[in-house]
Amino acid sequence: MLSIFKSIPSHMDYKGQKLAEQIFQGIILISAVIGFVYGLIIEQFGWTVYIVLAGFVISCVLTLPPWPMFRKNPLSWQPTIPEISGESIQKPQESLKKKKHK
Amino acid sequence: MNTVLSRANSLFAFSLSVMAALTFGCFVTTAFKDRRVPVDVHVSKVMLKNVDDFTGPRERSDLGFITFDLSADILLEYCYSKLHVLHSTYFTGKWCLNQVLNLRDMKSKYFFFDDGNGLRANKNITLTLSWNVVPNAGVLPLVAGSGQVSLPFPEAYETTKSY
Repeated sequence: MLSIFKSIPSHMDYKGQKLAEQIFQGIILISAVIGFVYGLIIEQFGWTVYIVLAGFVISCVLTLPPWPMFRKNPLSWQPTIPEISGESIQKPQESLKKKKHK
Repeated sequence: MNTVLSRANSLFAFSLSVMAALTFGCFVTTAFKDRRVPVDVHVSKVMLKNVDDFTGPRERSDLGFITFDLSADILLEYCYSKLHVLHSTYFTGKWCLNQVLNLRDMKSKYFFFDDGNGLRANKNITLTLSWNVVPNAGVLPLVAGSGQVSLPFPEAYETTKSY
């Protein structure tokens, strides 16, 4: 069952991750300030907790799924080099084996 | 922050830290208030008996029954959950948000025992109201109301004295 969840792509690029972190920190801080002031005015701490929880849910919806705005700057990978012969594959394997024996 | 779980982890940890800071702010804004309130206590009936006290010393002890009225303007900002009268719990309940406390004709729930015979003909019995404040965050003070009533107990047993 876990393989279904693992097959859904959820990556963001680096600028997207930075944007997502700024978004959720900003939303939670704003909702905390609003909640604290409102709770202080009506003298019930429960409403402060509710408002912060609402901010938490909003930021969950905005930052957990990989929206397209977080994938605007993808990394540019080099093009793949097609494999030439079997020798170039075996050499790195032998050097790996020598390192392991040490 | 590449996977959903990693983002969820940092989101949750951040909101929990923010919540802790808000709770501290709640403590700072409420813990230093003076909560003493004038209290009006009237006693309507006192009865005195001399009975065997099975939980105390083996001699017979004085047992008092008090019927009283109580009114206090307790300004409740956060929910208090217990009302302690006369240093033992006479009334428990949830009081939230600015309720004026008005109890009429309450009979004592717990036994008003004196170990010995100190209640008979006692010139000065003082009743005061004090309550525990149970806040959402912070210290748990025991607040004493500022009113009290002093009354002498009856001279003899098994008789009621009305006020």
